[in-house]
Amino acid sequence: MLLLIRSEFRKLTTIRAPWLLLAAGPLLVVAGISGLVESGGNVHDPGTQRGALAHTGLAAVFTLIFGILAVAGEYRHSTITDTYLSSPRRGRAITAKLVVYALTGAAAGLVSSGVALATTAAWWADRGGHLQLSAADTWLTLAGGLAASCALAAIGVGLGALIRNPAAAIATALAWFAVIEGIAGQLLGPALARWLPFYASEALSRSNLSATTRLLPQWGGGLMLLAYAAVFAATAVTTTLRRDVT
Amino acid sequence: MAEIEVRGLTKEFGRVTAVREVSFTAPAGIVTGLLGPNGSGKTTTLRIALGLVRPTAGEALIGGVRYSRLARPRRVVGAMLESTGFHPGRRARDHLKVLAAADGIPLRRVDEVLDLAGLTSAAGRRVRQFSLGMRQRLGLAAAMLGDPQVLVLDEPANGLDPGGTAWLRSTLRDLAGQGRTVIVASHALGEITRTVDHVVIVSAGELRFAGPLSEIGGTHSALESAFLTLTTALT
Repeated sequence: MLLLIRSEFRKLTTIRAPWLLLAAGPLLVVAGISGLVESGGNVHDPGTQRGALAHTGLAAVFTLIFGILAVAGEYRHSTITDTYLSSPRRGRAITAKLVVYALTGAAAGLVSSGVALATTAAWWADRGGHLQLSAADTWLTLAGGLAASCALAAIGVGLGALIRNPAAAIATALAWFAVIEGIAGQLLGPALARWLPFYASEALSRSNLSATTRLLPQWGGGLMLLAYAAVFAATAVTTTLRRDVT
Repeated sequence: MAEIEVRGLTKEFGRVTAVREVSFTAPAGIVTGLLGPNGSGKTTTLRIALGLVRPTAGEALIGGVRYSRLARPRRVVGAMLESTGFHPGRRARDHLKVLAAADGIPLRRVDEVLDLAGLTSAAGRRVRQFSLGMRQRLGLAAAMLGDPQVLVLDEPANGLDPGGTAWLRSTLRDLAGQGRTVIVASHALGEITRTVDHVVIVSAGELRFAGPLSEIGGTHSALESAFLTLTTALT
């Protein structure tokens, strides 16, 4: 297993595409926080500070796409053949990917959190606000964004193993994120909607985009997202085992 | 000795039977040619032997065990399939290093197989810049990475220039001469008569012939007429 993990890390470090994708996360954080301040966000309001820091959670959408490419990208380039030749016990190959992508997703979340903190600090200094570093709220928001980046990367690995066409898998994920979950949430009603994956992710990263929905508590969102990651991972492993690679 | 043994292999894809009750042995120490027209089931047979496709019935064993039972598969079996892909943005040496890592193969072996395949000077280039022939060479380098006792190659001569073809022929004969098992699927009969000792002919998923090339007549024209008779007779 350690050898497979090392091989997966080497796959990542020998191509540029995943790093360009992950670099988009911190850029989104900078742009998002700047937009929030420029559009009249009140730097004296603790809620605005939390909203700024919660952009870390939004950047997690890039770790989701990053995760999708773990397996679907291998199908696109037919490198999956070599992966399964190296590891005919396919469950181990997928597990190695889950480990590597979740860790890398967490690292990307860490970078995004750092960038969010620095960007917020810079704007707050510029606008004469007081950054409340001591508030537990600050660290919980940043940690939540980091955890969401990690979990969404793992969910992406599972999704990409289920939908092996990368364009279709990414389109499905983004459509779910942008449209479907909102509609499903309305159909289910707020009591059930908050259990859906992206509402759970919002709760975890405290990025309350859909202010109308009553979200789970942060820890509840985290557990729910972990459960989704486990279900996706298990489905990915089991469906991969029997499938013919032609 | 790690021979390849195919026993009663059948594979159905939906309603299509790609392979029907095929049995043959590819012995160690010689080159076996797996011949047949397009769509005859050659590739499916090899994919089953490599654990990529699950047979409907029968089994394929390598040295008496299934591929999926091998703990360090690349050290036992080297494979090159037509569909084996490369990430276009990855450098040739990095491609081999990824594969080496998965089986704990030392990195100096990467440079050895690059040299064997004549790719040393191109090792730092991204695969998107490679010609078809260079990709074939990289695929062969990957197959030899684990210094395996068994080589499974699907149309390895595709896209190779005359120099490459001659290199491939002498390499395969050398490997077999060292007691390794080599099986080569191909429809390029001319090349095959100069490379293989043993032929297995399949058509429409069924076995038509398995035996020494000399039984058919070791010349290109004899093999061609036998091939055409055997592969068209029942269709």
